[in-house]
Amino acid sequence: MSRRAPLVVALIAFLLPLLWIEPRTYLTLTIAGLAMGMLIFLVAAGLTLIFGLMDVLNFAHGALFSWGAYAGFTAAVLLNGRWGWAAAPSVTANVALLAGALLAAALVAIALGIALERAIVRPVYGQHLFQILITLGATIVLEELIRIVWGPNDQVMPVPLTFQGSWDIADVVVLRFPVVAIVLGAAVYAGMMLALNRTRIGLIVRAGVENNEMVQVLGHNIYRYFTGVFAAGSALAGMGGLMWAFFSQSVRPAMGGEQLIFAFVVVIIGGLGSVTGSLVGALLVGLSYNYVAFLVPKAAIGVTMALMVLILLFRPTGLYGTPR
Amino acid sequence: MPESILEVEDVHTYIGQHHILQGVSLRIRPDAVTVLLGRNGAGKTTTMRTVMGVLHPQRGAVRFGGREIHRLRPFEIARLGIGYVPEGQGIFATLTVEENLRVATLAEGAETRERLRRIVELFPDLDRFRRSRAATLSGGQKQMLSIARAFINPTRLLLIDEPSKGLAPIIVEHLTEALRAMKQHATVVLVEQNFAMASQIADDFYLIDDGRTVHTGAMAALAAAAALKKKYLGI
Amino acid sequence: MSAATSPVELARLEYRHRRLRAPSLYLRLGLVAVFCLVPLAPSFQIVDLALKIALFATLVASYDVVIGYTGIVSFGHAMFFGFGAYAVALSLGKFGAPTYGHLLLGFALGMLASAVVAAAIGAFSLRVKALFFAMITLAFAEFALILAVQWSQVTGGEDGLSPTLPGVFAVSFDAGRALGVAVTGRNVTYYAVLVICVALFLTMSRFVHSPLGRTLQAIRDNELRAEALGFQTFVFQIIATSFGSVMASVLGGCYVLWVRYVNPESTLGVPIMLDVLLMVIIGGIGTLYGGIIGAAFLITARTLLPDLRAVGAALFPGSEILQRMADRWLLYFGVLFILVVFFFPKGVLGTLRDRMAGRVGSARS
Repeated sequence: MSRRAPLVVALIAFLLPLLWIEPRTYLTLTIAGLAMGMLIFLVAAGLTLIFGLMDVLNFAHGALFSWGAYAGFTAAVLLNGRWGWAAAPSVTANVALLAGALLAAALVAIALGIALERAIVRPVYGQHLFQILITLGATIVLEELIRIVWGPNDQVMPVPLTFQGSWDIADVVVLRFPVVAIVLGAAVYAGMMLALNRTRIGLIVRAGVENNEMVQVLGHNIYRYFTGVFAAGSALAGMGGLMWAFFSQSVRPAMGGEQLIFAFVVVIIGGLGSVTGSLVGALLVGLSYNYVAFLVPKAAIGVTMALMVLILLFRPTGLYGTPR
Repeated sequence: MPESILEVEDVHTYIGQHHILQGVSLRIRPDAVTVLLGRNGAGKTTTMRTVMGVLHPQRGAVRFGGREIHRLRPFEIARLGIGYVPEGQGIFATLTVEENLRVATLAEGAETRERLRRIVELFPDLDRFRRSRAATLSGGQKQMLSIARAFINPTRLLLIDEPSKGLAPIIVEHLTEALRAMKQHATVVLVEQNFAMASQIADDFYLIDDGRTVHTGAMAALAAAAALKKKYLGI
Repeated sequence: MSAATSPVELARLEYRHRRLRAPSLYLRLGLVAVFCLVPLAPSFQIVDLALKIALFATLVASYDVVIGYTGIVSFGHAMFFGFGAYAVALSLGKFGAPTYGHLLLGFALGMLASAVVAAAIGAFSLRVKALFFAMITLAFAEFALILAVQWSQVTGGEDGLSPTLPGVFAVSFDAGRALGVAVTGRNVTYYAVLVICVALFLTMSRFVHSPLGRTLQAIRDNELRAEALGFQTFVFQIIATSFGSVMASVLGGCYVLWVRYVNPESTLGVPIMLDVLLMVIIGGIGTLYGGIIGAAFLITARTLLPDLRAVGAALFPGSEILQRMADRWLLYFGVLFILVVFFFPKGVLGTLRDRMAGRVGSARS
């Protein structure tokens, strides 16, 4: 199959539902689907690079998602409580709150991520089983810590006024927050592609994803890149968590684990180590989930699995994966 | 006798539970080409990887220019001036030729540019296919790229593992020429199964069998030692 | 020869290792005897505890066959446990009054489903990187869970199913006493499950020590070399995962027999998988019998821990945070997990064996 095949398939899948759904609803669903996809992409992108470069199955990624969400939540509650930036009808204040929450989420997630990588992941480098077990243990600990610090119950996330509700554009209901998510996701993708393809660090990361032993032999301290990629991936997961909190208007201790499975499926579909693969995979998953949820609600999760199975049948290493 | 640039002293390396190197000792003469000969599985590649720091010896020592390196990590060893061209070339297939070279470049500057220019002189194909993905290169070209990469930074010692493997005879000839040209710039340690090629460029040899050094001497002498050749190399 | 030990010495060391590997016959018989005597205990809790330990020990052993002896990291194992449980529960509940026939049918269907699904997943994904395979099994396991929850007409959704057992296993069955033990449905079930567990354990032990089992270990240690020697590693790996999954499915059926209740959380979910993982780690990967230690430790701790909540409330009546800290035993679980992986990667039995082997021979290179 050619390299363009995935995109052709995606396009077909994209347009197929028009057979059953009338155009205006289709557009609303598409936007929701793209947004969901973008949020999953944020988590999956970091995950796939960490796998690709470091060969690490990082279960703790879900915990970073949750911690990012909660950190952002605290920031949002603070900013709203002090200066009312969420409730205020001012776009500047609202955007400032979003930015502040994102920053908090990213910073906390990075700090946690670096700590995890140094203390927990590096010692068991190379032993897959133990990596899995240890990151699993770390996830349990981190999730429980959330319950201790913030309490075990779900909490409501303050969403800035500008991002609530929807716009009515030519009779089509366009929810506002999903648009923000799409814009952010696209920006992140563009940023990552630029970093990977135009910078020296990106070059070394790409080389390392292919063969990290060779990169070392050529004189680079691959461990620094490991930490860097882990930190970047963690930041993305944290931001993804925060965005998801806004999207679903709540924070829950178990939110990380639930989204992680989607992220895993997307990484499988997209191929280990491919950021573009994660994007395409995430959008496919997001869109298919939303279309099917509208048509046949109970089958929604089945569609994701079916998609994974189908893609693996034709491309065992994922859409953009390289056979290793 | 001149100081050896590389000393491997009674090295024992394990891979998992397997005792691969059971006492390998080498003293590599500077500015010469030394070849490691031996059967498949004798431990030649493992020796290379031990020197490069990819594997760490359980016992014994490795010294480069008098300095102990067997506890260092591969990138530290590379920065000391040891270049490594592994079996199978180790080029990054998804990167372009130019990118492959750039990954190897550790320092920008006039000296590096000069070296690059000389490399392109030796391997003109690399310039022609600069923008192509490395996966599209032929076997011989990949090998050239791999060797070129090892030369971008000031290399005092070059370790090459089976460069002629899988290459057509005419490419091997070209390769031999290139390696001869390199002799003047660095010390080369070669692992090579192709005895004819080895005898054309090597000055010294070491015979490795069952993870041990069993014989050493001048290459010229080996060509005549039929019994040795038969016993350890099967030729 | 250049190596230190001669073939004869190697064989002798191997023999000594083998003797150390399997706990002595008396130990094993003793263990079985203890389990047989448990129903004499006054408290039902103890009987429940004992059987759960036996069940999970065997489940862990079946997982060990896949992960420890064949070296395949899979997260699907709990799913097969769930398959067996649901198969038995469904066949007992949905086809009218339950009979022994239904029971056997349930077990058989469960085993078949597990074998087929395991083989299918294997055929499909064993060719890729180990990490990928682990993730794929996880995805399938999650999917199975969600399916069970959503397909509530059949599976009873989150509430699950509570089948009644036929004949001798029924709660109402009572046939007086024999050898000092009350012959009730409960106890009959107890012994039946115990017998099955011991039988399965022996089967697995035979399996790993058979030529097939040795081939699997060879594949685990060095897949390339095994392939070079002519073994179709792929086929062997599928056989191993199918075998393990069939065992798990039988145990799932036994679980339903004992607990008489099945729901997604308790049989299919991540919690079960985590439990099994922790047990296999504590006991020791690749030791088969380590599962007994791991299961005993964890299940006993679990049963005793809910009291911690009361302790926490009593000790820290004022502070909410401190109460929460005492309350969250799962936190300590997680910490324990991490510590065990770090310091005792070979588990209790594994470290023990290493120590003893170290003293006996110097072949531990």
